[in-house]
Amino acid sequence: MWGLLALVLGLLLSVSLALTPDQEARAERLGTNLRCPICTGLPITESTNDLSREMLRDVREQVVAGRSDRDIYAYFAARYGNFVLLDPPKEGSNLLLWGAPLAALVAGGAVLWGVLRKRNVAAPSIPEAGTEAPFDPFLAQVRRETRGDDRAGGQA
Amino acid sequence: MTEVSTNPKPATPAPLWRRLLPPVLAAGLVGVLGAALLNPARNTPEGGPLINKPAPAFTLESLDGAPVSLASLQGRPVVLNFWASWCTPCREEAPLFRELSERQGAGQGLAVVGVLFQETKEQNARDFIKEYALAYPSLRDPGIQTGINYGVSGIPETFFIDREGVIRDKASGGLTRERLNAGLAKIGVAGL
Repeated sequence: MWGLLALVLGLLLSVSLALTPDQEARAERLGTNLRCPICTGLPITESTNDLSREMLRDVREQVVAGRSDRDIYAYFAARYGNFVLLDPPKEGSNLLLWGAPLAALVAGGAVLWGVLRKRNVAAPSIPEAGTEAPFDPFLAQVRRETRGDDRAGGQA
Repeated sequence: MTEVSTNPKPATPAPLWRRLLPPVLAAGLVGVLGAALLNPARNTPEGGPLINKPAPAFTLESLDGAPVSLASLQGRPVVLNFWASWCTPCREEAPLFRELSERQGAGQGLAVVGVLFQETKEQNARDFIKEYALAYPSLRDPGIQTGINYGVSGIPETFFIDREGVIRDKASGGLTRERLNAGLAKIGVAGL
């Protein structure tokens, strides 16, 4: 229902502004990243109030005027703050927020790789260390007895 | 050759900084994320991005048909209130604006201006003005262009513009006497 209404409105607006299909697609894409300031978390393309409609008209006008995505986002951010962007640009402190978990993941992976590699290098030495184990009287007894069995078996 | 492998490595503990590094990094990350979550609007100054910026210009028509522009109010401190008749907090703050507008002077004195925001029926606005005996102009804003330029995201919203035409404060939501006086103080106008 709302989608249809938005589509009809979009068509009406695009007719009045005569956007090419490419411009139309661009305006739509820009609009989906602009938060309707008086709704809860809805892009202006999905809300039907007057303010969103006028903002979308603004977007279309600026698309027709040939302004860049960055300029159009900056235009709205200058008025409403970065809050108006549903997907804020990854720069400044945002970059830290996005980048820090990724950097932590990479650093963690590197540490894990290092630890695993060290363990693999150390692994072959373990059996050798086993043969050099301290004298075990029980093991010695078992060996003696099994050897004795072998001899006995051989004689029989 | 075998000596190396047979001698177990002496269990020397890693240096202190290496043992502390991972928990410190993790704590730092949690701290940064926590601070960002608890302050969602920290990337904009208090009151929005327009604070301490020149007020966007406008020329609008009042309900009486008289044109009013911000430029024509240059040199006067301006209190700009976005409102609508359907908004309950607007109704609650209206008596304060009535009181404030009595101070409105012609020459260099305070200018109080209302701008209609998404007013569905103009007659309702006229009734509102009559009911609260508002003596200052309320302007039509076709296309909500002025509302968008001022970043209005809900009403009432009040901008305090100083004599130089710079926005010094913004109040979102219904004004109390204290909040109004705080805004007035920032544009050099005595409080109520």
